[in-house]
Amino acid sequence: MNRGRHVLRTMRVTMGAVSTPARRPEDAERDADLLRRIRSGDQTAVDGLYERFRRPAFALARRILADDVLAEDVLQEVFLSVWRDPSAYERGRGSVASWLLAMVHHKAVDAVRREESQRRRRALAEEERVLDEPIAARDVDDDVWARVVSERVRTALGGLSAPQREALTLAYYGGYTQREVAALTGTPLGTVKTRMLSGMRRLKQELGGAVAEVAGGALGPSVAPEAGR
Amino acid sequence: MTADQTPVDHARFDELAVGWALRALEPEDESVFVGHLAGCARCAATVAETEEVMAVLATDLPQPEPSEGLRLRIRDAVAGTEQQPEPAPEVTAVPSPLPARVPGPRRTAEPTSGWRRLVPVGLVAAAVAAIVGLGVWNVVLSSQQEKLQATVAEQSAVMDGLLSPGRATIAPLTAPDGKPVATVVARADEVDLIMQGLAANDPRSNTYVLWSMDDGNAEALATFDVTSPRVGLKTVGSGSTGFDQHGIYGISLEPGRKAPSLPTEVVATGQVTS
Repeated sequence: MNRGRHVLRTMRVTMGAVSTPARRPEDAERDADLLRRIRSGDQTAVDGLYERFRRPAFALARRILADDVLAEDVLQEVFLSVWRDPSAYERGRGSVASWLLAMVHHKAVDAVRREESQRRRRALAEEERVLDEPIAARDVDDDVWARVVSERVRTALGGLSAPQREALTLAYYGGYTQREVAALTGTPLGTVKTRMLSGMRRLKQELGGAVAEVAGGALGPSVAPEAGR
Repeated sequence: MTADQTPVDHARFDELAVGWALRALEPEDESVFVGHLAGCARCAATVAETEEVMAVLATDLPQPEPSEGLRLRIRDAVAGTEQQPEPAPEVTAVPSPLPARVPGPRRTAEPTSGWRRLVPVGLVAAAVAAIVGLGVWNVVLSSQQEKLQATVAEQSAVMDGLLSPGRATIAPLTAPDGKPVATVVARADEVDLIMQGLAANDPRSNTYVLWSMDDGNAEALATFDVTSPRVGLKTVGSGSTGFDQHGIYGISLEPGRKAPSLPTEVVATGQVTS
């Protein structure tokens, strides 16, 4: 499976509206209530959670896997996992939304690593990198790219240095490990780690109020952002 | 962050926290970070912060609808699946020859693939214990995971990898005289070795090599050293994939520090039993 080409091909024919949902306190409360109902054994609450997150979850899994069937398998695994063990969510460690979507990301990354040999993944790296290039450097696929990521995320990613953006997008959208990112970009592993941290700090700043606040972490406002490396 | 760490000391863990949230850490970094995370509120917050940023990235992707059939499949699966009991408020680690380890929610179960029979994590522990004869294992699912991990983290860095949820193949290896000397526990991206009688080698002049030996073709998977003939656990291969795709494994002792194209002195062989 050629992931890069498949992504482009799929997106051309199935492009939908780009949503940029605002974070609303009532959403977080409703999500928490759904989880409470699941913990009490209410199967219909899984339906509610699915209704709320099916699209972003599917979009994320599909972006990483470039395969609708595998992406749906990931979603089934995630929602069943939430039903089986809802206590895995720890309130105070972030929102239900971020917890559930992180689980989708992790399972999709695991799936993509299972599906592809190391050799094939390296061969695909160039296409992943093309997708990660800044908008100004793109021409033919500009229209695709513009529809892939909403204005908000594009703007935020545009605020990163090119190496930061490359490291984060290869890891997040591509599912590559830090060592793989280092090999793909010809960068020392330590530098990749630093770029991911500094890039994530910058990204959080750029996204502003779209990101729910969590106190006390290394991305917080008390930490001086690093210059892009 | 623990009390004796300054922010400067902690910079490395800040980086690992972001990599952990992105699921991008290498196995060796993951082992280090898991042990640290258990007692570090700053890192827990950094992971949560990173996941919040990741969630925004996800919700801003174009969002096509999954098939209607998926909703029904999930509904059916939920109806046919029992929930795990709520965790007890306190968990006491039962003394055993090897540390108990709680699989965290971040390492995910993987579906069985292909013809090979694979075993889930709990059974990995049980199978390894049965093969090696190390005694009873206790794998406890609990919200007290971090507390328990904190108590065993230092001892269980290798065990974390060995017992992380997922699938693994197990192959006991025996010497030419039939004596069991090692057990291979292979996952897609990592291979661990339980040594139970391999002689120590001299790292200055030779190295052990783990091979796949399917269909008479030998392929070097990893090199490693044995520092003691006592029972020990070691991650000998990572950063690649397909370690669990083999049916027969072997170990050779080779002169020099690199794996040759073919094994010269095979000291143990065995095939996947699980």
